[in-house]
Amino acid sequence: MTAVTDTSRSASNKPSFVVCEGNEAAAIGVGLARPDVVAVYPITPQSSLVEHLSQMIADGRLQADLMNVEGEHAVMCGLQGVALAGGRTFTATCGPGLAFMFEPYVRTPGLRLPMVASLVTRDLLTPQCVWGGQQDAMVVREAGWIQMYCETVQEILDSTVMAYKIAEHRDVMLPINVCHDGNYLSFGVTRVEVPDQQDVDEFLGPPNTNWHIALDPLRPMGVDPLTGGAGGAGPRNFVRYRKGQVRGMQNALRVIREVHAAWGERFGRYHAPLVEEYRLDDADYALVTIGSMTGAAKDAIDIARDKGEAVGLIKIKTFRPFPLEAMVAALAKVKRIGVVDRSVSFGWNCGPLYQDTLGAIYHTGRAIPAISFIGGLAGADITVEHFARAIALTREAEWGRISSEPVWLNEND
Amino acid sequence: MGKCFSTLQFHTSRCDGCGDCMTACAQAKANTDDQAYSRIHILPKTAGEVVELALCRQCADPICVMNCPSGALSKNGDTGVIDWAESKCVNCLLCTAGCAYAGIVYEAKVGHVAKCDLCDGDPACVKVCPSEAIEYRTAARIFNAYAGKEDMFCRGLSACHGCNSELLIRHTMRMVGPDSVVAAPPGCIPGMGTVGYNGQTGAKVPIFHSLLTNTATMLAGVKMQYNRVGRDVTAIALAGDGGTSDAGFQSVSGAAERNDPILFICVDNEGYMNTGMQSSGVTPYGSWTSTTPVGGQMQGKRTEAKNLPIIMTMHNCSYVATASTAFLEDYYAKLEKAIKVAKTGMAYLHVHAPCPTGWRFPSGITTEVCRMQVRTNFVALWEYDPENGLRFTHPVDRPEPVADYLKMIGKYRHLSEEQIAHIQRTVDEKITYLRQLTVMAATRHPASVH
Amino acid sequence: MRSKYMIVGSSHAALEAATAIRLIDADGTLTLLTRDAHLPYSPTILPYVVSGRSQPDNVVLRDQAYFNDNAIVFVPGATVVSIDPAQSSLRLASGDTWRYDRLLIATGAAPMLPPVRGLTDVPFHVLRSLDDAINLRQAMGQARSAIVLGAGLIGMHTAENMAKADIAVTVVELQSHALAGYFEPRASAIIERTFARNGISMLMGQTLRSVERKGDGCLATLADGQTIAADLLLLCTGVKPNIGFLNGSGIEVDTGILVDDLMRTNLPNIWAAGDVAQARGFWGGKVINGILPNAVGQGRIAGLGMADDAGVTPFAGVVPLNTYSFFGQQAISVGRGSTGSGFEIEECGNEADGVYRHIVLKDGQLVGIATINDFIDAGIMWQLILRGTDLSPVKAEFIANPQLTGRRLMSQTWR
Repeated sequence: MTAVTDTSRSASNKPSFVVCEGNEAAAIGVGLARPDVVAVYPITPQSSLVEHLSQMIADGRLQADLMNVEGEHAVMCGLQGVALAGGRTFTATCGPGLAFMFEPYVRTPGLRLPMVASLVTRDLLTPQCVWGGQQDAMVVREAGWIQMYCETVQEILDSTVMAYKIAEHRDVMLPINVCHDGNYLSFGVTRVEVPDQQDVDEFLGPPNTNWHIALDPLRPMGVDPLTGGAGGAGPRNFVRYRKGQVRGMQNALRVIREVHAAWGERFGRYHAPLVEEYRLDDADYALVTIGSMTGAAKDAIDIARDKGEAVGLIKIKTFRPFPLEAMVAALAKVKRIGVVDRSVSFGWNCGPLYQDTLGAIYHTGRAIPAISFIGGLAGADITVEHFARAIALTREAEWGRISSEPVWLNEND
Repeated sequence: MGKCFSTLQFHTSRCDGCGDCMTACAQAKANTDDQAYSRIHILPKTAGEVVELALCRQCADPICVMNCPSGALSKNGDTGVIDWAESKCVNCLLCTAGCAYAGIVYEAKVGHVAKCDLCDGDPACVKVCPSEAIEYRTAARIFNAYAGKEDMFCRGLSACHGCNSELLIRHTMRMVGPDSVVAAPPGCIPGMGTVGYNGQTGAKVPIFHSLLTNTATMLAGVKMQYNRVGRDVTAIALAGDGGTSDAGFQSVSGAAERNDPILFICVDNEGYMNTGMQSSGVTPYGSWTSTTPVGGQMQGKRTEAKNLPIIMTMHNCSYVATASTAFLEDYYAKLEKAIKVAKTGMAYLHVHAPCPTGWRFPSGITTEVCRMQVRTNFVALWEYDPENGLRFTHPVDRPEPVADYLKMIGKYRHLSEEQIAHIQRTVDEKITYLRQLTVMAATRHPASVH
Repeated sequence: MRSKYMIVGSSHAALEAATAIRLIDADGTLTLLTRDAHLPYSPTILPYVVSGRSQPDNVVLRDQAYFNDNAIVFVPGATVVSIDPAQSSLRLASGDTWRYDRLLIATGAAPMLPPVRGLTDVPFHVLRSLDDAINLRQAMGQARSAIVLGAGLIGMHTAENMAKADIAVTVVELQSHALAGYFEPRASAIIERTFARNGISMLMGQTLRSVERKGDGCLATLADGQTIAADLLLLCTGVKPNIGFLNGSGIEVDTGILVDDLMRTNLPNIWAAGDVAQARGFWGGKVINGILPNAVGQGRIAGLGMADDAGVTPFAGVVPLNTYSFFGQQAISVGRGSTGSGFEIEECGNEADGVYRHIVLKDGQLVGIATINDFIDAGIMWQLILRGTDLSPVKAEFIANPQLTGRRLMSQTWR
């Protein structure tokens, strides 16, 4: 369950309701944002998303141009062209597709192009695998894209629309990956509320993707000329651009909060923008989760609470930029932490979210004992039982007794 | 901006002094075979010398006209011909005193001065010359049409001495004009500063330093968005052969298959000349490059170049053509078509760009090298569209030996006789293959036979 | 009134200077003042106006549209009477004053009248202006006989025209042969014979002692005592530069205005060119040679200099040159004859057939060439002289066939 309150809404028109899978919810969200061009190349488990979009365009339900290209690399390149010419774009990919897209993908944030792309997260090869997992998204966590991880099918739809408003905000101008877990969310079917188009139009406003950098004969400029090396003007320019990019990321923390608040106000659904605290205020210890696993984790917390455990939960919605302030505020409330990752940091022998959480703990000024759990690789379920085990282990976390190894939740399934 | 005019060009090295031109001229001007009536004078060879020529040069600043007291001579502002008006001429011969080349002379048989008038733009002498020693050069119309247009690149691009790519892109963008978006993937073209440096641009049109791998696709995206909003913008790639045939090929191929409305120009210098002369997929057999070096075990590149322009025709995209900067009129004609085509479909131009720095030849002979590529059939000039198939635009029926081309260039210096023979064979095979394609096209469309 | 560029004169030197100025400076104010009432024409065309070959209204070298297109103020009927270099101004007969930044004097020359007794009492003609030509043509319509005094180009040309108009012509020439400035006696003999065959009486080595009025015409008495009656008297005894208005201006003159190789006079901002200018001779000295190609070349140099063109090429020096058609035949002369030791002279031809060739060489270089009925390219010969082309390697060939050899040499330089 996500934190939704249906108390106040300012939307003038009535929403409609559909029952659909996560990929279709994403497609509906894209449709509401009215992109100019959608570029598609299929890959499991993203395929149904672009199929839905193609059908919407074929049916005339979405007045976008469809770019059928020969691979994910071309997807990103074509959309860069569209964005530089002033268009709003969308695409979706995952896993090996993302790896193939990598060259233009890493360039997009530097160009400050406010693109929105779904990452239907998938574990990376090898071993050969077509199932969910967040390794793909975690590999690109330092590529400069904003990453928001969805917990529910409804949140996919809502976040996809919100992503455009965040990305195109003048203080941000950065691309966003709206991540939802392959399999569990991509194909999970639920009832979702679809906001009215006119409301969304008013919420988003018209696109303006290239006011700052354009390939437009009316505003001729050299886009991305070479910067010199070895000191002087070249590196100085380069630093200026990099600092701007980093500042855009930090601005995004504020903008994401504002946009989520505005969304809630208009449509009555308040999603936690950066970090969600669940039963945390009186907790002694807590789990940190990300993505769709959070639903099962909350159930496990509830069960533990029923047993008298003072346990809470911290869910990461926005992982990049890292919500340091919100995370520190949450961590400050507890004495022990267990972090559940759906991917691996090969360098640190733990999960990447765990690693970042350690960084945040440093900023609390306290040495909070923390354990790294890794689960859900290759599409595995992280069940309530797995979380119960994680809760139990976290309760016992103490300095000097924490293993240097992560706990592999599905190791003995 | 002054005006340029078509002119006769005489290649003494090709002239055997047969005199057919003089007979043709006499026929055209006096309806006789008597060469005394000719206005072109081929001066026979003397020992150790070459054939010389006495002919009106149609000077820009003609002294014959200045010397004329009767106003009988004038420089025609439309044709550039020095016109002679018989009704005004008083036969004073002062015009002959103004000409250092015997371009206007007294013809005793006709009783007045006579001079070449270029046969109203269709010179009789050119048509009969069996050895192409006299050519009618019409490139002036390019100058007249385009010299006044704005150069879309800034001054001071830092191309190597003798580089024809700079010439090519300046010519190209003059015609394409300001309503365009240029993508230049890594290579010599951005390397010379077209996209700019340290935040400053090198072009007056929007220009993007695209990736080596994505040029065609990102342009397709640009074009798609402008089509969407109803703006007529030419999306043009100025790419090297690496960004087209190797890492860039998937993108180019995809765009061609989709027939994306872009103009893609591949400037083929047969390798990665910008980064130290490494081999690419279109580097010809036998070439020395820094990754196909010459040593005890290896004598330059061991495999053939892929025939990229032909591969492009196999995509059935709207227009494909090859070009050479030594044949700029041919190029302009193709570019003109390509710009039109690129409004609705993909146009691909493959321009051969010999590189003095990377190929090791003197920077002063680049255009000669270009010319020899064509005269030996090492490079064939043709164009293709799905409707009409392939046709030669400058057929060379009596090619010079490819060895004469290879010996101009340092990267072939090491070639053995066998290697040269091999290259000649592959050139012959390639031209035979192209001829078959033209025959196929002609069979399909008899009207397009050339 | 003020003009950045001021050109006085409207014939070849003046027009060429105007062209040259406009090559360099499209905007600077440019004015042409001429005493003539007509649009520009060439003095060289006048014999053809006399003959009727050219119509007076069809000899214009530049029309008003040209002046409009090139932003040139053309002022006909403007006779300059004085120049004040200190004020950079000049005054017209009308009393108007013009100020200039740069001035070109290209006022040409006027007929020189011989010291013949009684001349002021008889009607006579000269031929230097279009009005002269129109008057002469009119007079020829009434005349049955004529005396042409002077066997220079104008005299010979007009004599031929008169003969063709069935007028009995007598040509009286002080020198021993006709066209002495251009041709050796042997060549002149061919020309004179042709004239004689066409009924023209050629009195060479004769002077006119006196003339007196006789009816509408005159009666001339020669130095040897013989008398000739004629309806019409034409004086063609040479010209003298129009420099009278320069008195007191400080501009240095000899026979004409003295100029350097850039056509500059001794005073700043004043140039001179054409028949009024006395420029360096190719073989030394300061000379006047009133031929059209020299006027054109000098006008070009002056104009470029006035417009501050850094690339102006200094004058190469006067080389006498002429092309002359008579009774359907051609005489061409470039350069000069031998004037001392060290010259090689090659003569050939068949005088009986009227074919003649005379070549003068010195140190392997061409000095002069004259032909009759043997066409040579005057422009090529002129260039061979000016460039000092070494003909030694092709000397025999050149002497045998100067036309072909000359053409070949120039074709080589072109390549």
